[in-house]
Amino acid sequence: MKTSGAFRERLFGAWVEVRENLGRSVLQALGVMLGVASVLGGFSISDSQRKRADEMFVKMGGLDKLNVQPRAAIKDGRPTALQQANLGLRDADAVGGEALKSEAIQGVSRQKNTRTRIVSAYADQDRQVSGIGGDFIPANGYGIAQGRGFSNTEMETGAPVVVLGTEAANTFFPKGDALGQSLRIGNIPVTVIGTFQERVFRFRENQGNQFWWRNRIIAVPANLVQRRMNGDAYRRVDRVTFRIPDMNAMSDFAKQLKNLVKSNHRLQEDFRLDDVAARVRRRQSQGSVYDIIFMLSGVLALVGGGIVNVNIQMASLKERVREVGVKMAIGASGREIFKGFMTEALLLTALGGLAGLALGVGFSWVITKSIGIPLFMTPASFAWAYGLAAAFGFLFALYPAWKASRLSPMEALRYE
Amino acid sequence: MRTISGSSSPIIQTQALTKVYGSNGAAVHALRGIDLTVQKGEFVALIGPSGSGKSTLMAILGCLDLPTEGTYTLDGRQVQGLSGGELARIRNEKVGFVFQSYNLLPKASIVRNVELPMLYAGVGRRERRERALALLEKVGIADKADKLPATLSGGQKQRVAVARALANEPALLLADEPTGALDSKTGAEVLELFRELHQQGHTLLLVTHDPSIAALAERRVEIRDGLIAVAEGVA
Repeated sequence: MKTSGAFRERLFGAWVEVRENLGRSVLQALGVMLGVASVLGGFSISDSQRKRADEMFVKMGGLDKLNVQPRAAIKDGRPTALQQANLGLRDADAVGGEALKSEAIQGVSRQKNTRTRIVSAYADQDRQVSGIGGDFIPANGYGIAQGRGFSNTEMETGAPVVVLGTEAANTFFPKGDALGQSLRIGNIPVTVIGTFQERVFRFRENQGNQFWWRNRIIAVPANLVQRRMNGDAYRRVDRVTFRIPDMNAMSDFAKQLKNLVKSNHRLQEDFRLDDVAARVRRRQSQGSVYDIIFMLSGVLALVGGGIVNVNIQMASLKERVREVGVKMAIGASGREIFKGFMTEALLLTALGGLAGLALGVGFSWVITKSIGIPLFMTPASFAWAYGLAAAFGFLFALYPAWKASRLSPMEALRYE
Repeated sequence: MRTISGSSSPIIQTQALTKVYGSNGAAVHALRGIDLTVQKGEFVALIGPSGSGKSTLMAILGCLDLPTEGTYTLDGRQVQGLSGGELARIRNEKVGFVFQSYNLLPKASIVRNVELPMLYAGVGRRERRERALALLEKVGIADKADKLPATLSGGQKQRVAVARALANEPALLLADEPTGALDSKTGAEVLELFRELHQQGHTLLLVTHDPSIAALAERRVEIRDGLIAVAEGVA
């Protein structure tokens, strides 16, 4: 055929064939459908799981943060004079670090913690107290529910004020009137100036709140802890956190920061940086094993379906030998017959693939619903599922089509 | 009787055509050297008992099969040694087949059956439809154009087959026992159709075992044991 409408004609012929042999066609499309559904479903479930994990990281504020923490420089023996004279992690490291790459850093926070006795009119407990500085509250995803956060002056001066997480507020002020009340932290009376919003995150809907411990926070200005509770002359801090959303910038920054802090600390590695490279690797490899497993199972389904299709095609070819003979007698070339069979197989693949996409969406929806995570599907999953089906549909269609095209017109016409 | 200009090239010209099936040990010599010439506009009957080689000869003349040896020229075109694709093209353009069992495609409508050879020839959609309808008109069943073949009687099916055979205005119409499956009345009608086609100038080769049908042709060629046994009528 020479006309541009040739493909449309073949498609029409293929459609007639499919429609007239509905049972056989459905059977053939079924293999493709299941293959597509399993690839799409597998990818989507794995994507949904990964998305959920990412969300958790974001909510926890994990991925975009680079933590610097103190570490014991001495493992054995007595510290050298140099080590003893070392100043440890302190504010200067935070300030110097920020100056290194101020354009990429979206926030710097410091922490100076202590553990002490906390007493209110209703409770008396030994609790962790977080002395916070810089952008700690927004960087860690806290929000103020009642009252206010710390003012700059309060941060600077280390004012005796406290902001409570919901659990802490309920524990020390069960009547719900925490605001403005007084609380004793160690020996120091502090005033409650605000409460944090409740933090809730469940990986799956029916799981417990993974952020419950964040509601236990008892936050005071870091300078308060430093000056009046657990401080020392060097104003050491327990943790400095830089927030850098750009992963590449973070890798660079981590190296520079390490050099800076090391030189600040007289070349002693008495601190520990988060391993950014490992984090990037983990982030990238997360779920890729599942992707491979799911793709493999989908491919196996497609191969199985493909083999079934070859069988059905070969069986149906027997019924259709005469038809091929007639077409050849009135002028269809072997190539034309080949194209006709291929078009038919590809039409079935296309239809089965579409049905498979629908089935895959339903399948993913049911699974994610049942494990309680939101469904997340990417165009890439659809493309993979459909692309694989098309590739296998094409490959497995080749043999029967080739067989049909090689029939001798003479023998095909006489075939009973 | 029509007169043929002697200078015009023949539609069919074969020389020493042989066909051997199988290999040396169990070789079957279906044709043993056929020399046959059919002029343009002739109506020739090919007769012979089963196993005589007439089906093999028909297949070769219809370009469904290639001869083992010898030459065959169809409407000025050398056939021996052509590839499958080229043979398909010749069948499409130069030969119109009418079979005993009609061989219509059961899933395609009547008009689409007639359109199919034009489709393979690359005729455009609209022209194809017009020509197919005109052909159906010519064989007298235009009103059934959109029906499926299964809804037609045997005689009607054979008319569709004739219309399809004429689709690409072939040089040669090949009919293989075209009335074999029909009762005598409808058979006579179909034969009448062939007679009309002959009068309109078509070249007809009719394969039959029935002498009364062969009698309608201008010329009878009898095949026996792979050879032309008797040729009678106007050469």
